[in-house]
Amino acid sequence: MTVLTDLDQAAQHTGEFRAGGTDLMARRPAGPYVDLHGLPGLSGLTWRPDGSVRIGALTTVAELAGDVRLRAAHPGLALTAQALATPQIRAVATVGGNLLQRNRCWYYRNPSFSCHQNGGDSCPARAGLTLYSAVIETGPCVAPHPSSLAMALLACEASVEVHGRGPSPVGDLYGDGSDPARDHLLGSGEILVGIDLPPPVPGERAAYHRAIGRSEAEWPLVEAVARLVPGGGGIALAAVAVGGVARTPLRLPEVEEALLAGEPLDRAAGRAVARCTPTAQNGYKVALLTGTVLEVLERAAGGAGGSGGSG
Amino acid sequence: MKIIVNGAPVLPDAGPDDATVDVLRDGLGLTGAKAACRTGVCGACTVMVDGTPQVSCLLPAAAVEGRQVTTAEGLDHPVQRAFAVHDGMQCGYCTPGFVVEAAAFVDRWRGEHGDTTPPRERIAAALAGHLCRCGAYEGIYAAVAAACRGEHDAATGAPARVEAMDKVTGRACYTTDVRLDGQLEGVIIRSARAHARVVEVKVDGAHTVDLLPSDRVVRYAGQPVAAVAAPTRREALAIAEGARIVYDPIPAALDDAPGAPPVYDESSRRRAPSSSEGMNLPGGWNGNVKGPFTMASRRSRTARRRIEAARRRADPLLVTGTFTTAVQVHTPLEPHACVARWDDRGDLHLHLSTQTVGLAAGQAAKRWDLAADRVHVVADHVGGGFGAKVGITAETVAAVELARVCGAPVRVVLSRAEELTDAGNRPGTRTDIALLTDDRGDLAALAMDVRGRGGVAVGSAVAVLARLMYGTAPRLLRDSDVVTNEPPGTPFRGPGAPPMLWALEQAVDEAAHRLGEDPVALRRRWDGNRKRHALYDWVAGLPVWLDRPGTGSQTGRFRRGVGVAAANWAYMVDPATQVELEVRGDVVVARTTVQDIGTGTRTVIAEVLGEELGLPPERIRVEIGRTGTVHGPPSIGSRATTSVAPAARDAARRLRAQGLADGRRVVGRRRGDRRGYVTPVAVAGMALGRGFSGAVHVTEVEVDTRLGVIRPLRVWAGIAVGHIYSERLARGQCEGGIVQGIGYALHEERHVDPVTGAVLTTNLEDYRIPGIGDSPEMVVHFHQDGWDHVNGGGVGVGEVSTIGVAASVGNAVHNATGWRPRDLPIRPDRLLEGIGG
Repeated sequence: MTVLTDLDQAAQHTGEFRAGGTDLMARRPAGPYVDLHGLPGLSGLTWRPDGSVRIGALTTVAELAGDVRLRAAHPGLALTAQALATPQIRAVATVGGNLLQRNRCWYYRNPSFSCHQNGGDSCPARAGLTLYSAVIETGPCVAPHPSSLAMALLACEASVEVHGRGPSPVGDLYGDGSDPARDHLLGSGEILVGIDLPPPVPGERAAYHRAIGRSEAEWPLVEAVARLVPGGGGIALAAVAVGGVARTPLRLPEVEEALLAGEPLDRAAGRAVARCTPTAQNGYKVALLTGTVLEVLERAAGGAGGSGGSG
Repeated sequence: MKIIVNGAPVLPDAGPDDATVDVLRDGLGLTGAKAACRTGVCGACTVMVDGTPQVSCLLPAAAVEGRQVTTAEGLDHPVQRAFAVHDGMQCGYCTPGFVVEAAAFVDRWRGEHGDTTPPRERIAAALAGHLCRCGAYEGIYAAVAAACRGEHDAATGAPARVEAMDKVTGRACYTTDVRLDGQLEGVIIRSARAHARVVEVKVDGAHTVDLLPSDRVVRYAGQPVAAVAAPTRREALAIAEGARIVYDPIPAALDDAPGAPPVYDESSRRRAPSSSEGMNLPGGWNGNVKGPFTMASRRSRTARRRIEAARRRADPLLVTGTFTTAVQVHTPLEPHACVARWDDRGDLHLHLSTQTVGLAAGQAAKRWDLAADRVHVVADHVGGGFGAKVGITAETVAAVELARVCGAPVRVVLSRAEELTDAGNRPGTRTDIALLTDDRGDLAALAMDVRGRGGVAVGSAVAVLARLMYGTAPRLLRDSDVVTNEPPGTPFRGPGAPPMLWALEQAVDEAAHRLGEDPVALRRRWDGNRKRHALYDWVAGLPVWLDRPGTGSQTGRFRRGVGVAAANWAYMVDPATQVELEVRGDVVVARTTVQDIGTGTRTVIAEVLGEELGLPPERIRVEIGRTGTVHGPPSIGSRATTSVAPAARDAARRLRAQGLADGRRVVGRRRGDRRGYVTPVAVAGMALGRGFSGAVHVTEVEVDTRLGVIRPLRVWAGIAVGHIYSERLARGQCEGGIVQGIGYALHEERHVDPVTGAVLTTNLEDYRIPGIGDSPEMVVHFHQDGWDHVNGGGVGVGEVSTIGVAASVGNAVHNATGWRPRDLPIRPDRLLEGIGG
């Protein structure tokens, strides 16, 4: 193991970076690992006078979930953080690690298989079981994107800062999902240092839902976050993002536009399915996508400001 | 590197990338934290780091440098006593992790809310990162709530099981925790191919033992090929990964299509492993199909004629359908594990995670050609089994053979991936059922044609169990095996019964609906079992049953449903069971060759002795889990308690008659039942007793028709097994049976890649077992009459308490939605498709 204490030296290291280690220690790739906990100033939330906030990449998910001010300012993000993984994982896992974790495809994680993600040139899921695969196709790999926080940050119009580069929208970390070999687009030696959220929008209501079979502790079949601001007798601002359905977290502009145009929630939610191209095994994700989007829209529209619960 | 562990600074010899759980266990000998999944899912390795619970399997040692680490061994918290008193455990393997997490929650809760009872969902959310395969969640809820109310700040209340304090403090030693001087770590090298002849196995730099069958053919991906040993597990794994296996491929059968390539030829068929607990049903082979076995039928031609006639006239009282069940994996939290040592005399010493200390010793003696008294087996604590840990299995063969060639003790512990691939599963099934009711509302005919999918194993015995329910109406019962190149099925808690009841109890439910009759009333008419009649009467009076909704009457998003299912199970006993008592000073020591896999055998013996001898618990010591004493039963087939408790009582009475003088030794035996047994002589240590145990489960669910989720809210279990020896522990068995039944109904499914035959559900994220939030509220009602002919008055509860649960869930879903699920598990996708959502 190497302990990195200076961001400028990151590029010299070839090993995988380790923050909380909850993904890396389970995958156990060949070392040596480069430990990031020696980097100063990358942990915690820093509020600016205009109400915007910087989230250090080494901030834990539990800190994010438990931050009272964040819950008021960006409820969709806080609710998402509260609902992912388990208490012990949230206590250790970092925001940066969550955004840059590898996918959970049971082919990719199984040493018996070679696939696009680990140096191979095919997708064994396509020939095998696609029950949990992406239902919106963007490229050769069909593993759903694993980061719930990425989805929430997308809805929150967050930007990210990679050391040595200027700020960029969080979606740029992932691109369009066409590269089947990668879960994110950072190069070797590149380090995500922080996430910036704009000032809160007055009157925002938000909701998150994770559609799973059991009550807790499961990777989502489909997940969605909605941010709504009522105004002018209807909806003045709408941001809807979904996960579990594609190679990247996705915003759903078609749903947002329908909401702004005054469409009823259920009809607006139904617009999410136009992009779906299900297989024989994962057609249920189409219905579940509509249901999950409707769930968060109803909760955000009907819930008290800044809450909505996560089910 | 310095860490403060349980208050004391230590300087372990550890690398920064080592997992903290290994540093604690191997480096410091603190084995309370268990490395049960190594993916951060099960929580059995949870420790506190500076007061915050974390999973130590994913925690690099670098992350705890200079910090305070607290393990269950160093914890001194009221919630530990609460777990002991409320029996928040069975096998105890998950318990050290649970109590560490629960301690943090209880302190936080009391700090914020005072000494009050938290809502159930708050407890569930706090413990969401922990899995208990035994399903002891009801006791865990009770323990955490009581600790939050401050009820266990002082040491009050007796532990529900005698070893409870050892389990809540992490002191209880399981096979995975054993570490002998000079011990090596063994790893099994497994086949990457589903079907191939192994031409050559090349391994560098280690002693190797061969694990291939005599024909050198591997018949499933994951089959053991060889085993290697090295001083550390990491080194052994590296050697195993470097092994090169040369295969001569053979086409594999990965589905049950008639044209699938053959799995066996005529000679290799005879060596097919068995998924059956007793003898395999006889039957011929046709390609990959063995059977059908039809001898359990009654008047099969009449049954067939009536059903065909009903089909021709489209009789509305003919219920037909195809029901399927997925492969369910036992996956006990303690994986299969063995530490083997040969001593200077040539004796074999095994630490073994086993349900069958005596049987394992006998099989080992036979296999390695030793006199029976030269094999010594120890299983002080066993982290669950459910049928998977019977006799000698691959890890034991590997450990024993490696110990011999290495001249050192060898430990082999399966990884979770191995445990989920090749350590036991309940075969999948496909059942075609036809059930005909006549004009009078009686059962006119039944046909069940069951094809079992136990991979390379044969022994499916599902339809045969339908001979024993609902009187003597004509019935055609067919059981076949369809073998494939997939890992072998093995006996699993109530073998054959859950899939049989999944089909039969839903067909009976459907018949009641078509007759317009109360499903409980119909069963009471059809079922001749008087003990179950008492349970039907109990159910019929339950408010949840009386107030159940009309089937399919609801149209809202959330729909409530109530379903019932009956279950029937044989009574088995080990009639040769004995218990030895010895007076040592003022303590009475009890011994027999039995083991406690979490069912409470140790406690049952202690309680019987306490009653008979009038002694307080501290004057009774039960030394089980070891050979070297009198014969005792295996913990399989619901027979341990009914075998061992009467023998303990007999021994106690003998001792009382002779007086408790120091050094006195007596042996009690399990006297026969009145009118004897159905089987005149015991076969393989097992006699089939007279009478059938019964259960009736009522399950209330809430169905979310938008998101496809089924929540079991409450379950009532009526159980008729006669005398209950230890009420709290028996209730725990029934509660755990319900939790496993719900897992079978809603969540558990082994998936295999259809192209390569590799198991895909190799971790506890992808293989989904119920967590605490999935555990319903439960009411267990014991009907204790009807077993006067049995010595001791009571029979086993382990199997009858789980086998009908899934069917009751299916009937509840039908009641809620009007849609009848036919395929297990009832996944969200199946529900959404079924209700047209």
